[in-house]
Amino acid sequence: MSHKSLLSKAPIAIFPLGKMGNLIPVVVAANIQGVLNIPVKIEEPREIPNECYMNHRRQYDAGLILRFLRDLEIEYPYVLGITSVDISLPIFTYVFGEAELGGRAAVMSIYRLDRDAHGGHVSESLFFERAAKVALHELGHLFSLYHCNNHSCLMQFSAKLETLDTIPLYFCERCKFLIQRIIYQNPQKP
Amino acid sequence: MAKIRVLVVDDELIVRESLVGWLRKTGYDVESASGGKEALRKLQEAEYDLVFLDIKMPDISGIEVLQRIKEQSPQTMVVMITAYGSVETAVEAMKLGANDYLMKPFEPEYLLVLVEKLLNQKKIIEENIMLKEQISKRVRYQDLIGASSCMQELFEIIEEVASVDSPVLIRGETGTGKELVAKAIHAKSERKFGPFVAINCGAFPENLLETELFGYEAGAFTGAVKTRKGRLELAHGGTLFLDEIGEIPLKMQVDLLRVLEEKRFQRIGGRDFISIDFRFISATHKNLEEEIKRGAFRKDLYFRLNVIEIEVPPLRERKEDIPLLAQHFLARFRKETNKPVNALSKDALLFLQSYDWPGNVRELENAIERAVVLAKGTVLTKKDFSFLTKGFEGMDEQECKSLEAVEKRHIEKILHECEWNISKAARILEINRTTLHNKIKKYNLKPA
Repeated sequence: MSHKSLLSKAPIAIFPLGKMGNLIPVVVAANIQGVLNIPVKIEEPREIPNECYMNHRRQYDAGLILRFLRDLEIEYPYVLGITSVDISLPIFTYVFGEAELGGRAAVMSIYRLDRDAHGGHVSESLFFERAAKVALHELGHLFSLYHCNNHSCLMQFSAKLETLDTIPLYFCERCKFLIQRIIYQNPQKP
Repeated sequence: MAKIRVLVVDDELIVRESLVGWLRKTGYDVESASGGKEALRKLQEAEYDLVFLDIKMPDISGIEVLQRIKEQSPQTMVVMITAYGSVETAVEAMKLGANDYLMKPFEPEYLLVLVEKLLNQKKIIEENIMLKEQISKRVRYQDLIGASSCMQELFEIIEEVASVDSPVLIRGETGTGKELVAKAIHAKSERKFGPFVAINCGAFPENLLETELFGYEAGAFTGAVKTRKGRLELAHGGTLFLDEIGEIPLKMQVDLLRVLEEKRFQRIGGRDFISIDFRFISATHKNLEEEIKRGAFRKDLYFRLNVIEIEVPPLRERKEDIPLLAQHFLARFRKETNKPVNALSKDALLFLQSYDWPGNVRELENAIERAVVLAKGTVLTKKDFSFLTKGFEGMDEQECKSLEAVEKRHIEKILHECEWNISKAARILEINRTTLHNKIKKYNLKPA
């Protein structure tokens, strides 16, 4: 990660992928800025390439979306794609998000975040909170963080909404330390 | 702590990438192989804790790779990866030693639970192997087991004591293994090829103890049809071990003192003296000095017995030995009961170490036996020992509605706690020995 410069004004770019309102990218960006204290830029929406769609699963392949985001010719060190479609990996039935460990691209989906355990809709505030958690968790992976065993940490692995709702919207001291080392390794703060 | 090493074997790049990616994010040291041959090569070069193995691969089948893994490294956990429709093959793989299987695609949560379960299982198996090795190599002395410093000291004392022929008095609480210490001394002594004769002085009424020890001549009393040798005579050339020596009635203490001093005795009803030669070892859980003070034990006999004194520590003072002992008993009862219980979980071991064991090693032995017999799974958990914390063990409400049934169960319990030491049990029950004997007869109670 040392080659990556966080000196630019906005080291993280958010790309809305496909149809999506303005609100979610803004909420996610605000939370990233609030928790990590680094600027975030919201870019113009992009379409997800057709080849990312898995016909037999009726889902989008998160791995292929990551490849698409990684190859975007832009200057931001980190890219986060946000989509409203259902995403998954070939081995998993679904994922909330996916990121390259220590890499450049991350993607998250809000498709499954607006429901409760019984399929009913949840409050807007809980929905936004979930989106912010998934986004920060995936960014944690971009900053080379592994899943954390601390139950009070955003980096705890949560595949279910119930688990996602129990983890806090902040990193544990250890993970925070590791993120700060990466963000502030350059003498000039972003 | 070393990182968990995982190998992902699948010919589909996309599966490898996504599984490797997830496992790396969880903090594991992950490698991948695109086929069976590459996997076997990697397995030769390094040891893996966990292998995800695709069943269908173009070069070597997953089943064949599985068999090779289990031959080379049986502790490695193997999860077969299968597509929908090939579950039968996966089940076949389980029979060949695979630890679980995953059907693509799977729930992310399921993968996390599975990996944690298998790694935990692997840890338990490894700990058990380690404990077994410790038992067989370093901590066993005859039938005594203990790695603790107090047990190591005890082993040294036994070694020293075995070489001389002086009487030994073994002290220790009920169930600490006093008889095992006596047997170890015998086995290490020059008398090891002679008999080891043991008798629990507390388990017999006074007149019966006398006939057991001294034997009798035919016609000595009503019912003495044939001459019978007593334990003193049977121990000739070997070792006589009198357990619960503090329970011997005062009159017989004099007889015993004479035997020890003169090395000869007469059978009951006999006129001839029979010379005997044995090593004398006695044991007690009582404070004999206190017994002397209150006139219940002869001072001269005490000095005769107590030439060498050995103290066997209670289990609560050597809790570090509990995992070793538990493992030892588990192996024994697994064999005896033929049940597939092969390990003790971490929480079970922690619980066993936290318990106070008033009945010492014997209580632990009984607890493991009961847990093995009643076990539903292959690993004994804390739950399997919940009976230890219950008050009146095994008291069935339905069964114990009548006063007689309650009396029977209570007497049985006290006798069990006192190891069938009649005097002790009678004292606790606050009845005399004759009454207790009558009740034992009435309820047809027998030692377990």
